[in-house]
Amino acid sequence: MGKIKKKGTTGAVKNYISRRQALKKLQISLKDFRRLCILKGIYPREPANKKKVNKGSTAPTTWYYRKDIQYLLHEPLLAKFREWKIFARKMARLLTKRQWSTAEALEENKPVFTFDHLIRERYPTFTDALRDLDDALSMIFLFATMPSTNVLKKDLIESCQRKSAEFLHYVIQSRCLRKTFISIKGIYYQVEIKGQPITWIVPHQFSQTVPTDVDFKVMHTFLQLYDTLLGFVMFRLYSELNLKYPPALDAAKDAGAAGLDALTLESAGDAKDAAAPAAVVQAANAPKLTAEDKKRLKSLKSKIASIKDTSDDADVTMAEASPAADDADEPVAEDFDEAMDADGAAAGEEGDIHSKPLVTYSALSRTLSSKQSLFSNLVFYISREVPRSAVEFVLRAFGATVGWDAVLGAGSPVAADDPRITHHLVDRPSLPESVANLPRRVFVQPQWVFDCVNAGKLLLVAGTEHGTGYAPGDSLPPHLSPFVDEASPLEYNPTLSDDEEVDAHEMVEEDAALADSDEEDEDEDEEEDEADSEDDDEDAMEVEEPKNAKKLAAAPATKKLTAAQKAKAKVAQEEADRLVMAKLMMSNKDKKLFEAIKRTEQKKQDEIKNLKRKKAMISAAKSDKAAPAATTGSGPKEAKKAKKARTQ
Amino acid sequence: MAGRSKRTPTRRAPAAAPAPPKARAVPAPSAQSRKRRTRDPDSDDSDATAAPQAPSSATSAADDDSEDDDDFMAAEIDGGSDSDSDPGSDAGDDDEDEEGDERYAAIDALTPEQFMRIAGPILKERLPYLAKQLAELSDGELDGEGDDEYRPDGDSDEDDAAMDGDDEDDDKEGEDDEEDEDEDEEDAGSDSDEDDERVEAGPKIIPGPEIIPDTDSDDSDADLDHVNTVGNVPMEWYNDYPHIGYDLDGKKVMKPAVGDELDKFLSKMDDPKYWTSVHDKQDQKDVELTEDELAIIQKLQKAEYAADGFDPYQPTVEWFTSKTEIHPLSAAPEPKRRFVPSKWEHKKVMKIVRAIRNGWIVPNKPKAEKPKYFDIWGADTAESRDDHPMHLPAPKMALPGHIESYNPPEEYLFTEEEKQAWLDADPEDRKIDFIPQKFTSLRAVPAYDQFTQNRFQRCLDLYLCPRVRRNRIEVDPDSLIPRLPDPKDLEPFPTALSIAFRGHTGAVRSFALSPTGQFMLSGSDDGALRLWEVATARCLQVWTLGEPVVSVAWNPSKSVAVAAVAFGQDVAILNLGSTTVAFGVATDAKTAKTTTTMLAGDAAPVAAANSASGQRLAPKCEWRRPTRALAAQGVAWTVHHGKPVATVAWHRKGDYFVTTTPNHGAASVMVHQLARKQSQQPFKKNKGLVITAQFHPTKPHLLVATQRYVRIYDLVAQDIVKKLTSGVKWISSMDQHPSGDHVIVGAYDRRLCWWDLELGVKPYKTLRYHQQALRSVAFHPSYPLFASSSDDGTIQIFHGMVYADLMTNPLIVPVKILRAHAPVNSLGALNLRWHPTQPWLISSGADGVIKLWT
Repeated sequence: MGKIKKKGTTGAVKNYISRRQALKKLQISLKDFRRLCILKGIYPREPANKKKVNKGSTAPTTWYYRKDIQYLLHEPLLAKFREWKIFARKMARLLTKRQWSTAEALEENKPVFTFDHLIRERYPTFTDALRDLDDALSMIFLFATMPSTNVLKKDLIESCQRKSAEFLHYVIQSRCLRKTFISIKGIYYQVEIKGQPITWIVPHQFSQTVPTDVDFKVMHTFLQLYDTLLGFVMFRLYSELNLKYPPALDAAKDAGAAGLDALTLESAGDAKDAAAPAAVVQAANAPKLTAEDKKRLKSLKSKIASIKDTSDDADVTMAEASPAADDADEPVAEDFDEAMDADGAAAGEEGDIHSKPLVTYSALSRTLSSKQSLFSNLVFYISREVPRSAVEFVLRAFGATVGWDAVLGAGSPVAADDPRITHHLVDRPSLPESVANLPRRVFVQPQWVFDCVNAGKLLLVAGTEHGTGYAPGDSLPPHLSPFVDEASPLEYNPTLSDDEEVDAHEMVEEDAALADSDEEDEDEDEEEDEADSEDDDEDAMEVEEPKNAKKLAAAPATKKLTAAQKAKAKVAQEEADRLVMAKLMMSNKDKKLFEAIKRTEQKKQDEIKNLKRKKAMISAAKSDKAAPAATTGSGPKEAKKAKKARTQ
Repeated sequence: MAGRSKRTPTRRAPAAAPAPPKARAVPAPSAQSRKRRTRDPDSDDSDATAAPQAPSSATSAADDDSEDDDDFMAAEIDGGSDSDSDPGSDAGDDDEDEEGDERYAAIDALTPEQFMRIAGPILKERLPYLAKQLAELSDGELDGEGDDEYRPDGDSDEDDAAMDGDDEDDDKEGEDDEEDEDEDEEDAGSDSDEDDERVEAGPKIIPGPEIIPDTDSDDSDADLDHVNTVGNVPMEWYNDYPHIGYDLDGKKVMKPAVGDELDKFLSKMDDPKYWTSVHDKQDQKDVELTEDELAIIQKLQKAEYAADGFDPYQPTVEWFTSKTEIHPLSAAPEPKRRFVPSKWEHKKVMKIVRAIRNGWIVPNKPKAEKPKYFDIWGADTAESRDDHPMHLPAPKMALPGHIESYNPPEEYLFTEEEKQAWLDADPEDRKIDFIPQKFTSLRAVPAYDQFTQNRFQRCLDLYLCPRVRRNRIEVDPDSLIPRLPDPKDLEPFPTALSIAFRGHTGAVRSFALSPTGQFMLSGSDDGALRLWEVATARCLQVWTLGEPVVSVAWNPSKSVAVAAVAFGQDVAILNLGSTTVAFGVATDAKTAKTTTTMLAGDAAPVAAANSASGQRLAPKCEWRRPTRALAAQGVAWTVHHGKPVATVAWHRKGDYFVTTTPNHGAASVMVHQLARKQSQQPFKKNKGLVITAQFHPTKPHLLVATQRYVRIYDLVAQDIVKKLTSGVKWISSMDQHPSGDHVIVGAYDRRLCWWDLELGVKPYKTLRYHQQALRSVAFHPSYPLFASSSDDGTIQIFHGMVYADLMTNPLIVPVKILRAHAPVNSLGALNLRWHPTQPWLISSGADGVIKLWT
């Protein structure tokens, strides 16, 4: 007989340790433990089988991965925490004894926390760090707008402000902004760095109230980590652009609310070092080259003429909007050169060496760079009611030259009456008189900028839909989220034309009307059937199909449907029956899974249906309003639609 | 003796050495010393005898002098004590006085000069104190004092001190005389002098008992104040003896005479000192308290300090001074290292000095500014972390949809109901954490007040939320649906309604087809039994049985034309051969004759049956001749059961049939034999509610379906073969495959169970597909088909192929759903039977219609 195994010594138990045990093992307070968890990125786990882990009990317990805790034992921060505790005790004693000089000496030697090692440990590669940047950026941008409190010291807030400005500068420099979205919570930005999409949210430009129901100590710990993380990430990003990090801060400009311009970017190091990172960053920000891509590239080259045509087309719209955009005929080459110039001061010398691969990349990123330089050659002027920070950032990230009203800050490179100005961003119902004397330009609402970015092209200011547009005073078209996958069938697409949907809708309604008209005994019975079937956990959708089909089948009795219809109904019935019978033979497991999938699908479909219904109602209400005004009427179809929408 | 003499110089110490204040406050020592000085008359005698001898020889005198000294002192005080002795011992008092006088007389006989001359040198040597006293006496001062009979004790000490002082004076005066005075004495004298001075300067200190640096200084025995030396023992021990103890010499101290109560009273009345004396138990006599003692008592009564003029606030006397002594307690010389600087420290310091000189160390140098940020990832050679199962990165924040836009399409805005629902819901239950809003311009967008909270929640999620890896299954739901063979390939099976048999007015619960499939008998709730021609749906005959027909079974034997019909508590044996020959039910006259012959005769007598089978005949089951009305309709026999009959089923050979009567105890299942017209009760004990019972198609087995189990009994071996566990709640019907190896059971809880009897007692397959309770299940006798009917009105037809190969599982494929009967009172298709030869299905419903499906 083998050795009797002791219970709870092998298996899942070994993997987990409860929080209480962890605290005992580490001999630290809960407060310190939590801080350590935040900094080290240690999180509780949910064991797959609680009973196996907790000696047969299912009582709610917080479990940690045992190895996480074991590694914590050797964490230098743990020692630092202890040092700090001792320091605090000593300091308190000295202060009570009023031994100021000793206290001063102690203060000089106080333990200093650094989180450098954590960054490397938590993010073994730079890509890992980029992947986790979303939360860091959101926090940094939030606290950049926060007032300093006794928990959040001024230094930290200022650091946040600088870090956020520095990151924006990087985005502007590297032209990596992809999507923007103004939500009621704030403004979302999405950049793509090294193929990693990074999304963060910036609150609307108001002073933040400090809520009382938030534990700022926790957030402070996070912030410390994020601050360090962002510092290292930014150092890397800047050095890849061959820029010096941290950039110099012009105090005078900062005081004058110059915003982004307060930071001065400087080129770092000599030319030799510079060339390589520049190439790297280009490579990184360009989509990855696969063999397929290369093939496509070749065809691209051959099709370059057609591409030019399309770009010309784009230029037409641009030209329409901006008279100054005439010289955008070869945007790609020019942009790229510009980028090169910006990237490395002396990159030209080394350019020959790198020219071959670079040309390939430039060809590849042709479409991308045309998007990246969406606003290049355009000059924008921001009126004073427009939130400058967001708009300026987005515009500059796509190559625009931006000027602003003096109210919004000092250092505007463009005056209000500058003839170069192509677009004037205004957010008022009507144009003020003061603009009357200004040179000719396009007045647009700020949403236009964001919509253009998401669309990847310059939209018509007049707007596509009837009655909407971006000109001041126009009612704006809906601002849609660029993060929604429009291709998915399970997503509602608000841009889809009404007719398509309504047509589909009508079909169903007709069926329903047909079925409703004949109220026979048999039909009633069948309805009972269905009522029963709903009791069963049959999928609702599955039931619906036979229902319609049945009703169609029942219809001939009175309506004398044609033979074709009869046949159709029969086939439908048979199909439905076949499905029912096939499901009958499914295993229980499969059946449950199938039903779960169908249920979630159905939920989404219901949501979409609801949205469609609401849309129909709204359009009906609108047409009702419009109908008395324009007596011509949009036709009986419209009226019918509206009526239907109301009846629903 | 030496001990006693040795005490003498120290005796003076109390006067000299200042007692601690505590000791000074205690007046007891003076009282003790008083007691010590009291003397017994008996011992006095011996002293008295010794005293006169003293002058006789110098040596003996020297020896006795100590005693004399004692005596002398005692005598000195005796006078006092005598003067205030208790009234009870007045009689003895006089004697004592006389004796004292005698002693004094002995000494008095000598002039002081004489005495000193004789005893002086010895005394000086041995008893300097006494010598001084005597010297004073010789100076003539003794007279005055000697006359003073009473000296308060406190004063006496003082006087001693004063005497000491006097002695000093004397010493100074008579230095020449006393050159060889003991040094010790002088020391003591000088000490005492100092102390006296201090005493005079400070408050008056009453010296306590002296502290003698002897080992036995605190020995109670050594402190001999009493004449009686028994010590501190209860004096009651001596109550029965004439003596009260022993004196120093070991002689008995006799009990003093004690006056009677009258004497006591008289002394109380006469003696003014009665009130100021206390009784000394040890010496058994009264001791008068001195004035001082009385004063102390009075002071104590008044809660004052006992000592006179005691100052509780006098300056602290530092017995153990806090002042550092200038001279060390140890005379060991300081080691050298205390004065020489450490070599190693010097070396260390020099190291630092050298480093500073050479510029290796720059004191107070500002720390080198390490760059705060650097390229921490370097060449980025590290591999990205492996996808370890325990590494669960936090999911990214969900990206916003159109609904979060500041200017969403209008359909995203909440309606009033939606808004109310959102407001009413708990924050955790809300799908979105905000109310969608639409602003006409960017200018109008306000700050979002929950922004910080949202970030905080995210932070909490990141470090507090338990993470678990969930495997998301990305499956196309359609791929889960099994691919069934095309039903067309599995034909023939009934697909369409062919004939409807209308005529019954109640629900048709049961029907039976003739063995050829040409005719059908159907029984209905309206109490009618109808005979149909299947091919034409023509009703040939109608029987009115009066009670609802619940079960009909046609005798499978082709040689007879008999059917069993269960109605009420009876089973009617119908002779179809005789009645319906005209319609050709029976194939020929021979069959009719056989049938009639078979049904003729009497029912077997009970006793005979009992003896023949060895079984107990069911007492409640009885073969009866039918009533006249029934007989007229062709009923040959009725088998009366005590309880309503539920089912009836024939054995394949057509001689036996089995009936079930639920709730009939052990008689729930009855087996009847047609040929002998007798019934048997196969089971002694009932097990559960019997639903139905059938004979096995091939073996001599009986299958009994109770509510949840199907039991298979071997009728020959009279034993149970198998007990099939259905797993359903309530079985409704049962049928067997013609091979006899498979059983299907329909249940009211919508399930159909299929058993392969080769496999085990649990169902090989349990299917649930009907929406309502299953009413009937049936195997086709020849085609691989089976069907089930349900209360939802539908009939499901399956292709159920059973293979002869034991290794191959039966193939079950659903092939057709027939919507047969519309439910009436939630009863649908009640029964179904397959045509014996054709792949046709006949079903009956609660709507009273029988349908043939082809």
